[in-house]
Amino acid sequence: MQHKILLTINGEQYENFVSSERTLLDFLRDDLGITGSKKGCDEGECGACTVLVDGIAVDSCLMLAVEADGCELLTVEGLNKSELDPLQKAFIEHGAIQCGYCTPGMLLSAKALLLEKNDPTDDEIKEAIAGNLCRCTGYLSIIDAIRSVAKGGG
Amino acid sequence: MKGFDYVKATTLEGACDFLVKNPATKLMVGGTDLLLRLKEKRIDPSFLLDLKGVPELKEISYDPRIGLSIGGAASLVDVIHHPLVKMHYSLLAEACHTVGSVQIRNRASVAGNICNASPLADSAPALLVYGAKIEIASAQGGRSVQIDKFFVGPGMTVLAFGEIVKKIILPPVPRKSFGVYLKHARRKAVDLSSVGVAVFGWQQDDKTFFRIALGAVAPTPIRALEAEKVLFDAVNFAEAVPLAAKAAREEARPIGDLRSSKEYRQEIVEVYVRRALDQVLEALS
Repeated sequence: MQHKILLTINGEQYENFVSSERTLLDFLRDDLGITGSKKGCDEGECGACTVLVDGIAVDSCLMLAVEADGCELLTVEGLNKSELDPLQKAFIEHGAIQCGYCTPGMLLSAKALLLEKNDPTDDEIKEAIAGNLCRCTGYLSIIDAIRSVAKGGG
Repeated sequence: MKGFDYVKATTLEGACDFLVKNPATKLMVGGTDLLLRLKEKRIDPSFLLDLKGVPELKEISYDPRIGLSIGGAASLVDVIHHPLVKMHYSLLAEACHTVGSVQIRNRASVAGNICNASPLADSAPALLVYGAKIEIASAQGGRSVQIDKFFVGPGMTVLAFGEIVKKIILPPVPRKSFGVYLKHARRKAVDLSSVGVAVFGWQQDDKTFFRIALGAVAPTPIRALEAEKVLFDAVNFAEAVPLAAKAAREEARPIGDLRSSKEYRQEIVEVYVRRALDQVLEALS
């Protein structure tokens, strides 16, 4: 069955028809061509598909597109409308990126954390990104990057 | 995933009526387990009925006489961050906090956690030691079931088709009480429990009482009643705690699987029950 959905993605309004079975991730990537959110495991383990739905982090592979009707979404494309987000700058400065596959999800998990708490502890940072797997950097540079933005009032 | 239609319920009555007319329906709240099962083609429903749009199911409330009421669509994160849950039922908040990742806890629900009836569901031992009651709605009316009668086997509950978990009610806790949930997993975060141990203790009329529940060591989450009996009869807790831990080990009927061997689970049950009891006793002293 096709459903008409109306949602905001990165500040822009979208009106689309989606089938019941479409995941939010496939809708973003394949229907809209917004490919910043990555498909890693497609089962909620790796966090590469993390997006913010009404300000909270969710795995878009475990959410149906139709469930996002009326919601406000933020993907990695929405982080740098005019210039790079402070988190993106910090990831570059701290060498928190190698292959980059986990980075969009990592950035959005960090963004969700900083929206909730502007001065998180290291344990809170670790918990916020526990659902995002990185196989390159060993996490320390990612934690450093997030901490630097938090301390800078990001 | 294919072959199902998504339907969003807006009232509980509407949801109950829909189930009567459409037997091939699966209920959905967070969908974090359900979507996996759909992707793996382990289930093939005609409809997914989403309960998140039913306002009364989202509610969490507390009444000093009735206790805590958690709506059937309340998310784990709603429970974890609720100030009254933290204040009166911290063990439940702790247990819910050990589930999955932030992304999963933002979506998954307590009701979904128990309805999936995994033997290792982290919220289940907490609900068992608090003596929770499950209120169930259906087109035929309602009923309620004590949590220790709710689980029937792996993936199975007493819920009949057409029944919806309306709320989970935790009775008021005694003023002087404390609870601990200890989870053993292969890694610190985002892992399924190899063993889960919940211990809740309280003092009344100069006597200390305990409830102990275990996850991942039997076909369903269980109360460790023999261990509780050892403590109930005890005069000296320093001596009784190791005996209770041994009794819990005997009561556990674990299997060996990819997360842990049977023998290791038995060992962990004894160690964690002892550790949890020590922590509760210390907090109550």
